[in-house]
Order: sequence, then C-alpha cells, then structure tokens
Amino acid sequence: MRDDEPTNNHSQISHPLMNNPAVKDFLTRITQGKGKAEDTAGSVKALATGFSITFKHYLEQQLKLKPTNTIQYPEERREQFPRTRWRHVLTRYDNGLEKCIGCSLCAGACPARCILVEAAENSDENRVSPGERYAAKYEINMLRCIFCGYCQDACPTGAIVLRKDFELASFSRADNLYTKEMLLEPYNASSRVPISVVDKQ
Amino acid sequence: MSDRSLTQTEVSLNPLSSERVNITIDGISLSVPKGENVIEAALNAGIDIPYFCYHPRLSKGDAANCRMCLVEVASTAPDGSVRKMPKPQTACTLPAAEGMIIDTNTEKINKDRKGVLEFLLINHPLDCPVCDRGGECPLQNNTLYYGASASRFTEEKRHYPKAYPLSAQVVLDRERCIQCARCTRFTDDISGDAQLGLLKRGSDVEVGTFAHTSFNSKFSGNVIELCPVGALTSRTYRFKSRPWDLMTQKSICSKCSNGCNIKLDYRMDEVLRVNARLNEDVNEEWTCDRGKFGHDYISSPDRLKSPLMRKDGKFVEVSWHQAYSLLADKLRAAGTNCGAIAGGRTTNESVYLLQKLFREILGSNNLDCRLDSNPLPASDPLFKKSLQTGMGNKIADLEKMKTIMVIGSDLQDEQPILFLRVRKAWRFKGAKVVYVSDHLTTDSTAVSDFASVNLIYQPGSEITVLKDLENALARVLSANTADSEPPAQLNTQPSEATGLSNNDIHLAASLLAKGEITIIAGKSVSQHSQYVELYQSLTNLLASTNSEGNLNIPVHECNSLGTMDMGMLPGSGPGFTKCAGGMGTAEMLQASADGNLQVLWVMGADPVQNFHNNELAVRGIENCPFLVVSELTLTETAKRADLVLPAVSIAEQEGTFTSCEGRVQKLFKAFEPVGSSKPDWLIVAELSAILGAKNLYFTFNDVLQSISKEVPGYEKINPGTIGDQGIFRTVPAAG
Repeated sequence: MRDDEPTNNHSQISHPLMNNPAVKDFLTRITQGKGKAEDTAGSVKALATGFSITFKHYLEQQLKLKPTNTIQYPEERREQFPRTRWRHVLTRYDNGLEKCIGCSLCAGACPARCILVEAAENSDENRVSPGERYAAKYEINMLRCIFCGYCQDACPTGAIVLRKDFELASFSRADNLYTKEMLLEPYNASSRVPISVVDKQ
Repeated sequence: MSDRSLTQTEVSLNPLSSERVNITIDGISLSVPKGENVIEAALNAGIDIPYFCYHPRLSKGDAANCRMCLVEVASTAPDGSVRKMPKPQTACTLPAAEGMIIDTNTEKINKDRKGVLEFLLINHPLDCPVCDRGGECPLQNNTLYYGASASRFTEEKRHYPKAYPLSAQVVLDRERCIQCARCTRFTDDISGDAQLGLLKRGSDVEVGTFAHTSFNSKFSGNVIELCPVGALTSRTYRFKSRPWDLMTQKSICSKCSNGCNIKLDYRMDEVLRVNARLNEDVNEEWTCDRGKFGHDYISSPDRLKSPLMRKDGKFVEVSWHQAYSLLADKLRAAGTNCGAIAGGRTTNESVYLLQKLFREILGSNNLDCRLDSNPLPASDPLFKKSLQTGMGNKIADLEKMKTIMVIGSDLQDEQPILFLRVRKAWRFKGAKVVYVSDHLTTDSTAVSDFASVNLIYQPGSEITVLKDLENALARVLSANTADSEPPAQLNTQPSEATGLSNNDIHLAASLLAKGEITIIAGKSVSQHSQYVELYQSLTNLLASTNSEGNLNIPVHECNSLGTMDMGMLPGSGPGFTKCAGGMGTAEMLQASADGNLQVLWVMGADPVQNFHNNELAVRGIENCPFLVVSELTLTETAKRADLVLPAVSIAEQEGTFTSCEGRVQKLFKAFEPVGSSKPDWLIVAELSAILGAKNLYFTFNDVLQSISKEVPGYEKINPGTIGDQGIFRTVPAAG
C-alpha cells in the first residue's frame, strides 16, 4: 500500500450518522469485506419493505381502489382552468367581421415585444372589420411570448384572447411565428350560433 | 384669401417693452417682461399649465378658445391688499402686470380643468385606438393628467363622415376636432395663404377651406403636427404605424438647399413619415410639404439593390467585385481622359473623395456639379465671390432686417424656409418687403401678397429696373425725403420699357433708404444671362444703404454649396482654391458626344432630365464610351449607363450637407442600406483603394476629419463639433 493512497479509514467520514455506533460498526464491517450473514438479511428486509409500498400503490391503481391524479396523455386530457392563458385567438363578431382594428395596443403592452401589427384602411369593397381600420398583418412570435395576457387586457375590442389550447410544440422555429390566418377564429356563416342564444343557454 | 392674413400683427407693430414686472406664480416670484402672457412666463419657469390652442409661434389674438389654461389670478393693490379676480382667467391671453399673483394648481382650478375637458370630450369620438394621433396626443395626455375618469354625457355625439380629404395629403376628421383654431391660425400667421377657416357656429364649427376647395398650401403638412387632437392627419402616414412602434432618427431634408432639420420616423427599415426637428436658426419647427411628404423614394421598390452591368444591351446584376474591376480597368485605360459630374444631392464626403480620386489618382480635372445654365465660368472671380458667400445673411438674421427685397424669385417654391422667415419678419417683426419680379413669376408667388411695394416689371427689363431703383434711391438719400411723395422737380420718368410707375419706384426706394436692408435674389437672377450687371446693381443698392454683404443668392439643391466647396468645379479645388482647369459639364457632355471622353462618372445627378440643354445631355450621355452612374433608382441617365452603382438615401448613411447659408449639418444613419447598396463615399473610397490611393478611408468620420484638415473653411467641422444642429463653415476673406 502506497503512502499517498487514501486508506479505507471510515472514521474520517464525517456524518451525524457516524455517531451511531451501530451504523459505524456496520459500515466498518462491510467496507472492510467482513460483513456477516445477518447484514445481508437486513438489507433484503429493507428492500422488501420499500418495494412493498410501491407494489401496494400499484395494486391500488390497477384495481382502482383509490382515485388517481395521473392522466394518460395524449389519450386523455385534463380540463384546463377557466382563466388559463395559452394559445392566442383573434375573434370575430357574429356577422363574421374581425374584432381586431389593428390598433397595435397589444404590441404596445407586450413585455416580450412578440406581437407585430400592420394596419390598413377598410373600404366598402373590402370590409374586414367595423370602422375605419383593420389589421392587415398580425403576427405573434410564440417563442418569445410569455403568456402574460397583457395583450388581452390592452385590447379595446376584445379581439385577441388567450384560450386553452396549450399544445404549441413544433419541430422548427419558423413554425412558431403565428400569422393572422393561423390566429384568426374560423368563420362559417351557416353554422354560426347567434350570441343571444348562447346567453340564454 | 382673408384679410386676417394680410395685416401685420399687434406684436409686430408694438413689440414687447423692455420693462419688467414682478409676478408670483404658485408662490414662485418671477421677473418677466411687461405684457408677456402668463402662460409663457409659467412655461419658461417650468411650471406646467395644460393648453391646446396656445402656441408660442402663432399670434395670441385668436387664442383662448380651448379654455384649458385657466388660472386663478389675484392682484396686489398699491396699498398692499390682495384682491382676487372672481373668475378664473385664461393664462394664454393674460398679460403679466406688476404684482400679479397666479395660482395654477388650486382645488378650484383642478375642478375647472376637469370640467373643460369633459366639455371638450362631449363631441370627441374617443376612437383613440384607430386614431393616428393616439399615443402622442395632447388631448389624451391632458385628459389622463387633468381629466375625469368617466364622462357623464350619455346623449348622441356629433357625427360627420370620417376621413374627409382636405387635400391629397391632409385628411380631416371633424368629429375629433376641438375647434382650437391652431390650423387656421397657422395658415394666417405662418404660411400666409389663409386657406383654412372655421366654418359654421357653435358645436357645428368645423375646419374647412372656402367653398370646399383643396387645401393646397405649400406648408399644409405642418397643421398635422400642430393639431392637438387627431382631427388633421396625414394621408401618406394614415394607419401606417402607431407612435410606439416607430423608431426615430435625426436627419436633414434633401429637398432644397434650406437644410431643414427633420426627424425620420421609420419602422422595419421603411421611412413612414417626416416630422420637423426643432432648429431655431433654420426651420424653427416647420417643414414644407415637399420635405414632409416626399420621402417615398427612400423605401421605393424601384431602389437598386446591386450593381448593374450592361451586357449585350441589357442590365445584369453583378457583384461589387466585378463592378469595381470593370470600372478600375476602364479608368486605368482612360488615363486623364475621364470626367465626373456630381449632383447637388450628394454628401460632402462623397464629392470630396470623388474629386480627390479624379485629381490626385487619375490626374483628371474634368469635374463639375452644375446642371443649370450658369452665365459665369467657374474660374471667374465673381463666380467664386458670389457663390462661395452664397447667402450674406444667416436665415435666422433675416427677421432682424427692416426692409427685405425679394427679386426674381418664386420664394415660396424655391426657398420655402427663407419664405417663412421673410413672412415672419413682416408679420411679427414689423419688416417691410419689396417684391421685384417680372410677370412670368408673379402669379404663383406669395411674397407679393404682403409686400409693401410690388415692382412687377416687363420681362427682360431687370437691368433697367435696378438702374431706376438705384437712381431713385440716390435721390431719396440726397433729398432725405424718405417718407414724402416723389419730389416733382426730380421726377424723371422711369424707363418706359419696365412698365413701372414712378410712384412705385420711389416708394420702394424710400423703404430701402431706411437702411438695414437685405436682398434675396432667386433663380431668375442667378441664371440670368446678364448676371454680372445684375449682381453689380444689387451690390450698389446695398452699398448706398450701408448694408454691404446682405446680398443673398441661395443655391438650390440640398448640397449645391457643399459640392462646390469640396471642389467639384473645373479649375476650383476644395474651398474654392485655384487649381488646374478642366472641362465643365457642358464641355464634358460635348466631348462625350464626340467620343473624346473615355469614362464619364455621373454621381447623384440626372443630366438627361435636369441639364439645361437637354439635347446636348442626351447626345453626350448616349454616346459616352463608358458611362458609370451611381444612383438610387434607374433614372433616365442611369438607364443609358454601362455600369450602375446602387447608392443609398439620406436615411441609410452618415454624411454632411452644407445648406444655402453655409451651415454644415449631419445626416444620421437610421437603418442599413437596402440590398448591397453603399454610400457614395464608400464606393469612391473602395475604388480609390483599388486604384492605389495612399490615404485609405474606412468610416464616415475618417473622411470628415480629412475634409476638416484639407478644405479651407471647414477647419472647425469635425465629428465632435458638428452636433445635431450643425455649425457654419467659414468663408475665407476674399483673395
């Protein structure tokens, strides 16, 4: 044995447990290769005790003896909280006109500066939103967005809302640049339910 | 045209006295000029009073209609007792008087402000989210600071159709108007065309033009900046951006030689609007419409993005490397047989390096920057004298003059900012204006509207008119009868050819005889075939009234003066120093047409469109063996080139312009050049390096420092001193 090689001297280990003589003895024995038969038995017992708890829970889950918090995503989906803030949607009025007027207040309020709005003027031939102005371009960089919801707060017409769709992963950075077409609520004039009916329900 | 715009203001006739009075505003004792408005005294002292209709540069007579600047006023009687006025007063029309005690921040005033704002907002549509003024709107700001949080008005608001087009540039939203009359007062006081007025009465009051004609003032864009709400907005900027999405960079207008300080508001490398930048000595806070609305070329899709080389009659895009190699080969082959024409739109740095390249490396002296017909050769001493001086007066000093004579100039169009100064001198400073012009240029000139004397002579009789005027002035001065009728015995009939009455000539002469006169001469003088005689007459007029040096012959393009200062003239080097002569523009074009000029480099100029002799320009440009053009777009000249180099606009480069008054001002870079285009100075610097220049230039500052060292008159100008507002280059003493 060379002098500079660390000796297997457990007494150098400083741990509160080492104050327990039983632990100290046990560790000394097994690290010096002088373990006894009852040492093995004790270890097996400890393992069995631990796994029995795991097994108990396993049986409980399998036999549905207790309710579970785990869901089987993606086959199952948890219901989102009512005020949860995920994917943005640009909403419409019931007649199909866009609520967004291209005012860029969302972009002004955005702390991550991830919104880009370019406005244009409505004309009678091309009416996109009520009033004079509409958003010709509306883009959100979802990689930058921190889902704070300030844009929704700032919006004077309630056009931009953060809804519950949280599945926003994609395989490329470019896919995370959401354009107006992606954000805009689809509109189908025939299947539209008037808002008064919804209110009564 | 209304009478309101045709009178000098009360301020102009009765300037503020030098007497000072002691007043107290919010417990702060101030000593202010007697008669100064309380709002000005307060704002100068840093005490905030909200206002809409008040504006320091507009006359105060029609103010006090927004009622926002209400203050409580008390006066101290001689016995020391303080007596409060029962009602609040408008600070913008309240002249300061001895012992006045003013409170701007009492409970009562705050309640009044809330009330005033509630009234102003009764008919205001509150469509801030779609309003172009939203975000930089005084009504928004004041409502936020001083207004109530909610309105009690539940009735129907006043409704008008939105976006009424006052003109092609200015859009009016009558619903938003708070009837402050700033725009109408602007057209009365500043631009002088008095086109806008308040029509109808009561809550129906609306801004409009008489008989709903187009608002075609040459300064119409300023009312957009003046409007304290979003009632007047710009057609070109309409819905383009919100203020918080914009970036701003300081710049200099390149539309004429006046050198207006402007701000470029841009977004995503596109200049969306131009606003005036305050420079009290140049444009104050105004712009003309050419500068304000003529910025679309900067972000035009027609901009050149890479060098174009002509191959088999067609342009193909090439790399800079290929372009430089070709150009360097051609220049080497041409030897001294090459020339360059630089327009007045190029920066000092570009021209400086260009003339250095031609004179020092290529050994050619064929350089010129003049496209208009100039009667004098560049080597003539008078040319140097009259053009290097340019303007004898600074723009700001024009308003100090007693009499201003404008001759042969459609001033409003040629020199818009000089026009505004002249009008300010007349309207607010009591100056008298003498307007001398022929029939050809009068109709479109606004100076004649307020001139005390209009000498409208028969075309071609300029010389005679000035001689008559000289004689009349001599008579008036010798008889010392400045204000009397023309004396009968001296009444020699003026030359009939001029078509002027003796009376008018005498009146003009008696105005000039009062001294402190200045003369502004326009294009018809500087391009006159008898320029020398005219110049002599004008200097004589000035000399006989002890006003030598007050002759202003402003140049016309944004850097015409700088281009000449940098030595872009045959036989005149940097700082108008004498050097070896060469060919001028006309000779170069002639030589090129005859095939005697191997390479012609045209930088920032379009001779085909702008040279005074179009036939010669087309012949010279088309027959040039090798024509290289550095330009922003494919101009008529560039279309005929063999090699086109893409240059950059004012927004994409650093550079300096020398304005008509000799003020050297800096362009700041707003965004990166489009495509692979480069500033002209960089193109020349890189090419010079290829051709073996000893001095290499890598940055704008390198070039400016070199100019500072080598160009006489520019010694004081360097990157550290030039600043935001520019500094004057000096004119070396005649010699």
